[in-house]
Amino acid sequence: MMVETKKIMWMVKKDLLVLWRHKPRLLSLFLFPIIMITLFGYGMGGTINNIPVVVVDQSQGPITDATLSAIKGNTLYDVKSITSDPNAGLAMVQNGQAKAAIILPTNYDNLNDTSQKSIVVDVDSSDQLAASAIIPATQGVFNQINQQIAEQKLQTTSTPAIGVTTNQVSGSSGNAFQSILNTINLQINKLYGNITYLDFLVPAIIGMTVLFGCVFGMGEIVAGERERGELARLFMTPTSVTTVIGGKIISKLVQETGRGIILIVAAIVLFGIIINGSIMLTILLLILGALCFIGFGIMISARVSSQEDFMQSVMPITMPMMFVSGVFYPIETMPWIFQKIAYILPLTYVNDALRAVMLKGAGVGDIWLDIVVLLGFTALFFLLGVTQFNRDI
Amino acid sequence: MKYAIETFDLTKKYDDFTAVDALNMKIDNKSIFGFLGPNGAGKTTTIKMLTCLVQATAGTANVAGYDIAINPNEVREKIGMVPQLVSLYSDLTVRENIDLCADFYGLPEDLKVSRAEELMELVDIKYAQNKIVKQLSGGMKQKASVVASLIHQPDILFLDEPTIGLDPTTKRVLWDLVEELNSEGRTIILCSHDMYEVELLCDEIGIINGGILAAFDTPRGLKDTMINEQKEKKSSKNSDVITIMDELRKEGGVEDTAAYDQLKDKIERKNRDLKELSVMISNLDENMLNHLNDIPSIHEIVEHDSGRLVMDIESSEESVSEIISEIIGQGGNITSISTKDPSLEDVFMSVTTKNKEEGVNDG
Repeated sequence: MMVETKKIMWMVKKDLLVLWRHKPRLLSLFLFPIIMITLFGYGMGGTINNIPVVVVDQSQGPITDATLSAIKGNTLYDVKSITSDPNAGLAMVQNGQAKAAIILPTNYDNLNDTSQKSIVVDVDSSDQLAASAIIPATQGVFNQINQQIAEQKLQTTSTPAIGVTTNQVSGSSGNAFQSILNTINLQINKLYGNITYLDFLVPAIIGMTVLFGCVFGMGEIVAGERERGELARLFMTPTSVTTVIGGKIISKLVQETGRGIILIVAAIVLFGIIINGSIMLTILLLILGALCFIGFGIMISARVSSQEDFMQSVMPITMPMMFVSGVFYPIETMPWIFQKIAYILPLTYVNDALRAVMLKGAGVGDIWLDIVVLLGFTALFFLLGVTQFNRDI
Repeated sequence: MKYAIETFDLTKKYDDFTAVDALNMKIDNKSIFGFLGPNGAGKTTTIKMLTCLVQATAGTANVAGYDIAINPNEVREKIGMVPQLVSLYSDLTVRENIDLCADFYGLPEDLKVSRAEELMELVDIKYAQNKIVKQLSGGMKQKASVVASLIHQPDILFLDEPTIGLDPTTKRVLWDLVEELNSEGRTIILCSHDMYEVELLCDEIGIINGGILAAFDTPRGLKDTMINEQKEKKSSKNSDVITIMDELRKEGGVEDTAAYDQLKDKIERKNRDLKELSVMISNLDENMLNHLNDIPSIHEIVEHDSGRLVMDIESSEESVSEIISEIIGQGGNITSISTKDPSLEDVFMSVTTKNKEEGVNDG
């Protein structure tokens, strides 16, 4: 028994010594959980706040002021703009600057107008989480406003100075009273139809799968082959780094594009996911995303000598990227620091572009910025990967 | 081209550690060169530099007539390497690995097929050409690796521990192959810890230690150097003893001068060129021993037991002939004769230990 205990203790001691002697692994061991819990706690663990919205006010007056004050006072909203042009508000939602446009009608501040005040909320339903938070919250806000307006109207009807209104009310007192109570008609307009959480999740899951497939795959076929001496066999021949890496890129690209297409087909067949935009554009985005992540994998594997080192190098980058880049949660609702981090990570742009095409039916013109940024990342990664590639075995 | 490889202050540093330190050596074209050294001495790093797998920190080398720094691709076309660890793709078949290498060397399709067939037959692996590499035995993998390394018909073949872990039969097959490849005009660079293998195959040997070339010669030359060094050492010690004896005599400390002269003569004879001769005589007897004691070229009979006679004799061909003739003349029935030379392992130990004592870093 003592001997067995000693053996077990030796195994523990050995593993700890190995860890102690590989400082990057040790650092990763402590740093990685801190990063993860921070991202979970601050990025995902809380309630949804700061959803960007635009308010369209087409009239001026105390009710508009009270409404704006109520919206601004609600932490759920982050009012990005207040405009008087409904088309401008809608455009902000369509181009992703805001998740909803709250359009107040022209008669909003006119208490003498007995017709209903139709408030239109154009919601970006492609962001299912944001939409599902905005709709009930907005309904709550306008219920309160409705109540306030009704109270004001009742006060107005009992005042002789507004006799016309009283008359109107006395004409059919029941209907008029009802119209006072139902002053506001809130019309929710889901711009992209009823999008489920699964619909919201699928484009990002595809992006995430491509990320992990490409990055870890490149680790295996570059760092792994280097470790096993297989790369040495190729570099013994009169062959350039570019040729070897080029071959690996094409091979990985074919595999990952295939994997992405299988994922899309599976999502359509099994869960009835509908792609609102062009399937070809979706596949092209997959290819671009795969190229970008392959470049990232090459950049990291260019200088590491083993798969273990590669894994330790990429994990602290890829795992946080998964949480920060809006796979599960809208980026806009995260603390500002994570939002800033998100915009320097390529997965953010892959997710954004794939969601735009698959959920909103966007075309190249709508996602050109995502494409340009991804091309930039890809070029940078390849440049660093090939120039820094250590041919020495 | 006189030299297949010529290095000029070839150096490799890893941060503060110098793995190879200003290496200068010339390896004859079409020879088999054995490259020896203790673990971490800089052998593999040198080979990696010469095969353009690692860039030199300083200095350079000409391999097959090309500078490794200026024309690495020309060097790669002229060399082949069988690495210590088999570096074939383990999930591909033997043939797929060979074809991959052939295409990486840019061989035309017809040449690729004919060479692959020819080489597979040469190393007797054709029957396993469609087997996945990871399913093969160590020897088979090594044979496949040799074929992959020879597919482009290199002028220089580097073999890094090619027979490590192989059974004696497979080892011999590979040794025969090495000799055959050399006879075809290829230069072979053999890195090995198997001294028998190196001695059997190599025309010249270089011993690297602590990144420095500690010895370079033919196997015979290395042994002779060691014998001479040992003699010098012995001679120096004996001279010291004689000096002390002379001092003692001057001081009047010697009573029996005859015994003194006899002893001094014996010590002086030890300084001469001696070597050990071992003879097996089935009918060895006292008479024969007494007779042999009178032969001047026999310095000392070290051992005589069960027909085995071990003597220190003067190191010349004539003395061996004289002694053998005397034994036969005395009716001795000789069953075997051997002289003891230092082995290559002795040379290796001597060179590497000497370097260590002189403060060479063992890296």
